[in-house]
Amino acid sequence: MADMVNILVDGTPIAVEKGTLVIEAARRLGIMIPHFCYHPKIKPDANCRMCLVEVEKMPKLQTSCSTLVAEGMAVRTNTAVVEEAHKSVLEFILANHPLDCPICDQGGRCDLQDFSHRYTPTKSDFLDVKRVFQKEYFSPLIDKEMNRCVQCLRCVRYCDEVIDAKALAPIGRGSRTEISHFTSHQLDCEFCGGCVQICPVGAFTNRLSDYEFRPWMMKRADTVCGYCGDGCTITLQSREDELIEVISSFEKGRNSGDLCARGYFGYQFVNHPDRLTMPLVRQPDGRFEPTTWEDVLPLLAERFTQVKLAYGSEAVGGLITSRGTNEDLYVFQKFMRLAIGSNHLDSAARFGHVNAVEAMRRVQGTNRWTVSYEDIVNADCLLLIGTQITWTNPIAGLKVKEAVKKHGAKLLTIEAMQPSIETTSNIANLSTTHLTVEVGRHPAAVHGLLKAVFDEGVADNHLAATASGYVDRTRAAVSALPYPEGMDEATLRTIARTFAGSRRGVILIGQDLLQSPGGYEASVNLMDLLLLLGKLSEKGWGLAPLTEENNEQGAIEMGATADYFPGAASLDDAAARTRIASAWKESPPVGAGMRMLDMLEAARSGKLKAMLIVGENPARTLPASAKPAEALGRLEFLVVQELFLTETAKLAHVVLPASSYAEKSGSFTNSEGCVQKVRAGLEPLGGSRPDWEILSAVSVLMGYPLEYGDAAEILKEIRAVIPGYRVLGATPEPARVDRPAMDRYVGGGFAEDMASRYRATSNITQDSSYPWSLWVGQSLFHSGKLSTMAKGLLEIQKEGRLYMNPADLQRMQLAEGEMVTLTSVAGEARVPVGALGRIPRGILFFPESFKEAIAGLLTMTPDAVTGVPYHKQQRVAVHKT
Amino acid sequence: MPHELILLKNMSQPGYTGSLADYERAGGYQAIRKVLGKMPPGDVTDLVKRSGLRGRGGAGFPTGVKWSFIPKDHPGPRYLCCNADESEPGTFKDRQLMERDPHQMIEGMIIASYAIGVRIAYIYIRGEFVMGAKILERALAEAYKAGYLGENILGTGFAVDIYVHRGAGAYICGEETALLESLEGKRGLPRTKPPFPATNGLFNKPTVVNNVETLANLPYIVNRGVEWFMAIGNPPKSTGTRVFCLSGHIKRPGNYEVPMGITFREMIYDIAGGMRGDKPLKAFIPGGASASFFTSQHLDVKMDFESVAQAGSMLGSGGVTVMEEGTCMVWAAENLLHFFNHESCGKCTPCREGSSWLLQILRRIEHGKGKMEDLGTLARLCPNIAGRTVCAFGDAEIAPILSTLQYFRDEYETHVREQRCPFRRAPAPDLIAVGHG
Amino acid sequence: MLIEPYKDRIAEILGRYPEKRAALLPLLWLAQETQGYVSEEAMREIAGLLDLTPPQVFETVTFYSMYNLRPIGRFHIQVCRSLMCALVGAENLLSWIDAKLGLKTGGTTPDRMFSLHQVECLASCGTGPMMQINDEYYERLTQAKVNRILDDLRRDGKSDLASGPFMFPEPSNKSSESSCRTN
Ligand SMILES: Cc1cc2nc3c(=O)[nH]c(=O)nc-3n(C[C@H](O)[C@H](O)[C@H](O)COP(=O)(O)O)c2cc1C
Ligand code: SF4
Ligand code: FES
Repeated sequence: MADMVNILVDGTPIAVEKGTLVIEAARRLGIMIPHFCYHPKIKPDANCRMCLVEVEKMPKLQTSCSTLVAEGMAVRTNTAVVEEAHKSVLEFILANHPLDCPICDQGGRCDLQDFSHRYTPTKSDFLDVKRVFQKEYFSPLIDKEMNRCVQCLRCVRYCDEVIDAKALAPIGRGSRTEISHFTSHQLDCEFCGGCVQICPVGAFTNRLSDYEFRPWMMKRADTVCGYCGDGCTITLQSREDELIEVISSFEKGRNSGDLCARGYFGYQFVNHPDRLTMPLVRQPDGRFEPTTWEDVLPLLAERFTQVKLAYGSEAVGGLITSRGTNEDLYVFQKFMRLAIGSNHLDSAARFGHVNAVEAMRRVQGTNRWTVSYEDIVNADCLLLIGTQITWTNPIAGLKVKEAVKKHGAKLLTIEAMQPSIETTSNIANLSTTHLTVEVGRHPAAVHGLLKAVFDEGVADNHLAATASGYVDRTRAAVSALPYPEGMDEATLRTIARTFAGSRRGVILIGQDLLQSPGGYEASVNLMDLLLLLGKLSEKGWGLAPLTEENNEQGAIEMGATADYFPGAASLDDAAARTRIASAWKESPPVGAGMRMLDMLEAARSGKLKAMLIVGENPARTLPASAKPAEALGRLEFLVVQELFLTETAKLAHVVLPASSYAEKSGSFTNSEGCVQKVRAGLEPLGGSRPDWEILSAVSVLMGYPLEYGDAAEILKEIRAVIPGYRVLGATPEPARVDRPAMDRYVGGGFAEDMASRYRATSNITQDSSYPWSLWVGQSLFHSGKLSTMAKGLLEIQKEGRLYMNPADLQRMQLAEGEMVTLTSVAGEARVPVGALGRIPRGILFFPESFKEAIAGLLTMTPDAVTGVPYHKQQRVAVHKT
Repeated sequence: MPHELILLKNMSQPGYTGSLADYERAGGYQAIRKVLGKMPPGDVTDLVKRSGLRGRGGAGFPTGVKWSFIPKDHPGPRYLCCNADESEPGTFKDRQLMERDPHQMIEGMIIASYAIGVRIAYIYIRGEFVMGAKILERALAEAYKAGYLGENILGTGFAVDIYVHRGAGAYICGEETALLESLEGKRGLPRTKPPFPATNGLFNKPTVVNNVETLANLPYIVNRGVEWFMAIGNPPKSTGTRVFCLSGHIKRPGNYEVPMGITFREMIYDIAGGMRGDKPLKAFIPGGASASFFTSQHLDVKMDFESVAQAGSMLGSGGVTVMEEGTCMVWAAENLLHFFNHESCGKCTPCREGSSWLLQILRRIEHGKGKMEDLGTLARLCPNIAGRTVCAFGDAEIAPILSTLQYFRDEYETHVREQRCPFRRAPAPDLIAVGHG
Repeated sequence: MLIEPYKDRIAEILGRYPEKRAALLPLLWLAQETQGYVSEEAMREIAGLLDLTPPQVFETVTFYSMYNLRPIGRFHIQVCRSLMCALVGAENLLSWIDAKLGLKTGGTTPDRMFSLHQVECLASCGTGPMMQINDEYYERLTQAKVNRILDDLRRDGKSDLASGPFMFPEPSNKSSESSCRTN
């Protein structure tokens, strides 16, 4: 290849790509040049001077971390001079380094220790007083010991270059340089844990596990994080079945070692004292009585069978979280369909992701992305709509940042938060063009974009020729629309023009779009956008909906929603039904399944008599106005499998203790469709059991034996039933657009709902009695309810606050922490306020993980097509009382 | 040998205030009339190249050659930075050049900007030079008013803006890449090179950094020609005059402009009046604190780049500091190491840790707590710093130690043997400050 | 507090640079000029102006020795301690100041009039011993001069012993040639 460069490292020839650093070329030959400041994730800074090597024809030693290979270069890493240089740099570092290795959490995995060992300095000539930095309290989660710092600035550079938070500052000068936040304030950042992970020594450590362990005493398990759909590989480190810490190695995983606060610090719910450890059975007096599996399993089989006999299978419904493994989800739906005989089942993917999947199935004939993270990183233009990406999908966010910061990609954002520099990152700060829109208005912005595509004349000519009907009708529909009220036309046009003019572009959409009215239509319309630009089936282009929970994609693909069989096949897909029936040796039930809201309605009306709820908590998740608790309370038999005694579990007749992701094996499918292995790091806590195991045991007693020896056996069956799952691994080969499906859409399928998809949506109803727009969404530190059981995350955010723009706070003459009363058409709530510059004026944000505090305020509208319950946005009034 | 003043000429005239009128009266702003729109920019660079002018900031790099590294067809802006950070102990010439005759440097900057194709130039002046900054601001305002700066200068279509940018107390910002970082509003940490400023300089654009004195020479080279300039000094390698800064135990300290190539003896004894109190000379620093010490045996070394380098030191910034018999060399080295430790930016391990370690050893020796092994440690540590750092500061900080160890080893030994300083009662050491603020 | 009254000056400063952050040092100077030191509030405000985080401002401030992070005396005396001044009596200068004000390095007089620090070379090596007080240089100091300067400052807020535009040796009246021609 033309771009290869030949060099010699210690006499061994190697050809590497042009632009490779000498230290990397050597690494490929297995030669580890010692270093501190170098890290492949960040730009070389060559400050530690540890990695010096000899380069032929250069008089001075060179830093291999900053020297690029050049044709014919001869590098020596092991001469006496080099050895001496390495020793001497170590000698300088060690001169002031404390000898506190015995009590340092980094001991045993410390670069300084390892290199010192390698170069065995026998005695030090340093006879003077070691430098001492005053120990200061740094933060509740990250401990700082500056005496150990080698000033490589990896932490500072990571925080800036990778995370874009810029929360760490090297302060002072020379030998008095130390790492700090702002003056003497404790660290306020996004707590991704990156500084702890990237520190080569023990200067930053995880306070949650301070002094708890010696690294070599810990049991390790590589698994996948259970929070969001990004699918980060993590390593659980445990001792005596206690999860001590979570780390991630940069060589591994879709996240290549990067994590977010939830992933890094959010693990302590696993060993939480409130975890359920025994089955609980409600007594006639209403109390729960602990019992044994031996006793409870027959009871379950008996009661489910009774209900079936008395009211028919149709009287039983099931609901499952999409945090479970594919194996849990698969066995759940199979249990519901065979053991119970009902298609009434749904999962948390119903809260929004189904909108995206339904759109993808319809337009491009896939149920997943046609792009991967690599396509995001390599794109030259990214369009983010309603993602709130760094809060909801932080690692996908890092891919976006990498594309922008490292490769200069253009970033177009249509987001609910505005640019504002704070010490937590904000994707809008990196935008080339940004449009702030209120939550709920993203679909209107999509209309605007399509209009701009025509107004800017950037639609694809080829398509106009081959599918004139589609193009003309879309143009007509779009032209009839005005530019959305309150959105800058020029900005929309710039976004459309920029995106159309790029070489490789990916559209990322997220919760704010998918979980708001019109989420489904907007997803279809965005695929129209890609089609109209002639890009939908081009390599590297595509729509990438992000998932909130770790396995929403899996939930849909496993068939754990009312609409689909395994493989996301429609219930009326005869071929799929035949395939599944032959694999299951029994036919799945016929007839449409009830979705989540339908089931609740049926429970309320008495049509549904029993429910199996696995890890889902509708009593809390749905707004009080939807009266979920009341509906569930009508059931004759409610079984809940859970980690904690949730609001829903409290309504149950039987509560079963489930194992957390850290205690089970299986697989998760991330947003991008990558199926990854989940490995148990701990034994199931107490008497808890993986969800699939519980269902498998009940099924046997019900006479429909779904017997599996372990999770691997289930995966084997999944692979046989779901075509795509055979070939997938840790690096996905993204799905391809299914041409016939696309042709069907362009050829007429598009027309079905043309009128409603391109109907002008007016501005969210202005109502002078409720002048504020409240938006309930995921925060950086919490997702769902689990994170609020994690001590570490509670340390950073322990309650819900009503965040508003500082200017609004000032105008209202409110101080941070002060209580206000909120009212809406539905009810009232009292909450403390907080200031956040990225919240636009006139908008209120409340983190949904704490939403019980405002549950009374919210109303809900279901999506007419996909049944998604929308309740993220509410008009409210704020009273200072 | 008679010599004519060039840079100090105007200011040596009685009543010369450095105002624009004075400068013009003395022939100022004629050079830009010869250059702007009259000579192709490449020819100006060529002229400077041929003149042999070398940088007066310390490294002595040929100025015209440096300019020619600026990529010819680079789209977008390029920058010129005048290095007025003058912080090298022993050096105080730029201060005088700026405060007394600011326009000659400004005219030099206009010429340089024209040659390189610069639209915006900055003067990075050390923060302590408040007066200098004010004088420059005033001079710039005058030049703008007279049409020498801004748009369409002298009707030639050429335009350049010059801004004064004040530092805030950091010696290292004199290092050209640290200067650029500082100008960009960051900590003044030198950059790893390559890439060099000529391609990736200020705001990542092609940039030239030139010293005040270097720039001040330009109008004269243009006005009087390459041959004239080449004939001054010790051609071909050391052309022109230098403003040397004489300090220490000398009768008449101060700035003296002489052609390069006269000897230190002539400089110290004839020009600067010899030793204060007529004590014998013990040692002198020939080119600022970063230069190795010389002793009386070096008095006949010529004051030009090559001769000083050959003799084992450097002409550097032109600061000559003279020390009389009775001056303690360990104390002198300690004092300078205090400076280097205080001013090390802290980026490189060897410089950061080395400077504080070396200082602690020197301090112990000076204060009667040295051990004989310390001498070995000093000698061993120094070469582990030099040549292994990002910038030349690492080389500089060891110069005083290695050279005093070389010429005055017995003095170190006496300190250790007698566990006291044989020369003077040194004040109690202040502990190395820890932390910040 | 900082921004409001200086809007024009800030705009002018920002106008000099193609990138905002480059205005950081000048804005810190402005803050110090107006408040006597760089307060936390000022750092936050400047961060906001320049699209920086407060830690980014803080790391820059602490790199430079001239920005004060807390209020100091009205007259900030900085005595050069580097070799060239030390050779000609910088230590004496410290003792003169101490004798006059009872002020030691790092201290501030009880009336908050004077603060004293030792600093590295101020480019006044030929005219030592010397000190800088606020913006002014005072050179070739003797005990008598120091006493007068300190009295002047306390009384008038300024002293005419401050250096003017620097030239040393001072030009002779007769000739444009160096006073020490060697022909
Ligand atoms: C540590 C260090 C400090 C320096 N300080 C100065 C200085 O104060 N003034 C200066 O003009 N050059 C200084 N230099 C030299 C500059 O890096 C650079 O070479 C010079 O400004 C180039 O201008 P010239 O070619 O005109 O000399 C210093 C270099 C180093 C390594
Ligand atoms: S040699 Fe010293 S001054 Fe230069 S970059 Fe390295 S640490 Fe900074
Ligand atoms: S790893 Fe190369 S200098 Fe630090």
